[in-house]
Amino acid sequence: MIPLNKLIHNEMMKLIAKKRLVVIAIIIGFLVAMFTYAQYKEVERQREKLGTDDWRTMIQQTIIDQQNRISSARISDEWKKQLQISLQQNQYYLDHDINPSEPGAPTFMRIFLENSIELFIPLMVMVIASDIVSSEHSQGSIKLLLTRPVKRWKVLLSKYITLSLAISLIVAIAGLLSYSISGLVFGYKGWGAPVLTGFTVSDAGLNTASVKLIDQWQFLLMDFGLVWLVAIVVGTLSFMLSVLIRSTAAGMGVMLAALISGAILSNMVSSWESAKYFFMVNLKLTNYMNGNPPPIEGMTLSFSMMVLLVWWAAGLFVSFFVFTKKDVF
Amino acid sequence: MNKNVIRSVTIVSLFFCILWLVGLGLAVGEYYAGKPDKIPVKTNVEKQVKKKEGLHIVALGDSLTRGTGDETGKGYIGVLMDEIKEKSKQDVQLTNLGISGQRSDSLKQQIQQTEVKRQLQTADMILVTMGGNDLFRGGQALLEFETEDIADIEKKFLENMNFIFQQIRASNPKANVFFIGLYNPFIDLEQGKEMSQVVRHWNYQSAELSASFPNIVFVPTFDLFELKVNDYLYTDKFHPNTKGYRLIAERVASLLTW
Repeated sequence: MIPLNKLIHNEMMKLIAKKRLVVIAIIIGFLVAMFTYAQYKEVERQREKLGTDDWRTMIQQTIIDQQNRISSARISDEWKKQLQISLQQNQYYLDHDINPSEPGAPTFMRIFLENSIELFIPLMVMVIASDIVSSEHSQGSIKLLLTRPVKRWKVLLSKYITLSLAISLIVAIAGLLSYSISGLVFGYKGWGAPVLTGFTVSDAGLNTASVKLIDQWQFLLMDFGLVWLVAIVVGTLSFMLSVLIRSTAAGMGVMLAALISGAILSNMVSSWESAKYFFMVNLKLTNYMNGNPPPIEGMTLSFSMMVLLVWWAAGLFVSFFVFTKKDVF
Repeated sequence: MNKNVIRSVTIVSLFFCILWLVGLGLAVGEYYAGKPDKIPVKTNVEKQVKKKEGLHIVALGDSLTRGTGDETGKGYIGVLMDEIKEKSKQDVQLTNLGISGQRSDSLKQQIQQTEVKRQLQTADMILVTMGGNDLFRGGQALLEFETEDIADIEKKFLENMNFIFQQIRASNPKANVFFIGLYNPFIDLEQGKEMSQVVRHWNYQSAELSASFPNIVFVPTFDLFELKVNDYLYTDKFHPNTKGYRLIAERVASLLTW
């Protein structure tokens, strides 16, 4: 019998030889550079418009803009409520003299993570996860692998562990690249900047009773944890599809459709309540930390995590069940 | 392939895997078990505010300050800004705090915010439009034409404005304040004459109030819209249009001193 660590070593070797991680790093690097530039332009434009770079003035203007939009009769109740929550949050930051976006690379990293948790990071994960099993089929190497004196579940487990490690690495790469590239423009300081968390959103609007003040590095670590969880769940589901569907392209297509529908659904499902059991509506976990309202009322961090874990467990079970049973030819 | 490369990639990945798990644990812990902090509300405005080069103009008020009805989106503030920039050759910073539909009691709240006070402190000029929503209430004034009611509303309005001006003077004793008066958008309608009378009285009282404070100038606009009111009104027959805003801006511009 070949021990598990040898198998993992073998899988790791295949992963590195494929150079997928390098491709992913390049993609992330490109995008981060683009976002950095866009953010820089945005700050520039704001400064020009307001004639100052004082954050208090800027946030005050944002509040006024939001108040004006709320007072307009032509916006939907839904949108009005969201604006109200955002407004109350801004006002809270202003009243307590805390800059919600202290300029610097850590803040950029935080915003990048919060915006990429739902689609971008899962897509990167898919690049690796969706062909980790099916490529063995298309290359015919699955037969060689399975003729070894190793239990099938062990082969699959080694692949799954390798995938999990690769996902951890992808999340780390995203963090490192967004920090180092944006730092060139915004500076590398800001780890200790205060960040507010613990806003809760209820029917009555924003509740600030349990607001906590934490350092940005702590907040970032938590964000990373949540991004990682989402990446693992999406990775596991792609992994399952890779076991189920021999064609890598088809597996990727299904997963892509699911992810994109999630992004769209999140914006319009508020009245279709049972949609909250879809994994793709629950991907924006960071919203619970920064107090953005969830897509469907009543969703909480534990609810979303439970949903994700159920999907994760189901995906894992199906993968192992099918892989150990299926005929290989 | 080099064994060591593979091993080190594996170890690094494993390290991050554990780190992210810790982060996840922290997130859940913080979300459910973290104790709320007492974060002090900042109420005192720093006495020494960095005075920047150039002019700082603060605009307070309602939709007129926002420029509702102007197709170019500028409003009287925008036109005035252009003029000031051209004439003064200085950098002009505008802080527009106007909120559409705002009435005097809500402005009274707004003006007590710490940040608004801070803005007022650094201002070189303060522009105020207020009263249109108090008096006309989106046209309701035409339907409920009870002189007693309007007298009550006017009294309340003047009290609010008195408070607002006191606050402005407390934050900033020096800056010139321009208080833009009301015009009568309903002058051509059936009860236009009666309404005009009300507006004139309202403006008179506003002017009296302004005069009781140093450097607060009441800017009349009633006469601007008196003849041919429809040429200067937006299609909602309430807000000024581009031409109407230009009239107001020109009037304010003529009062500026350097």
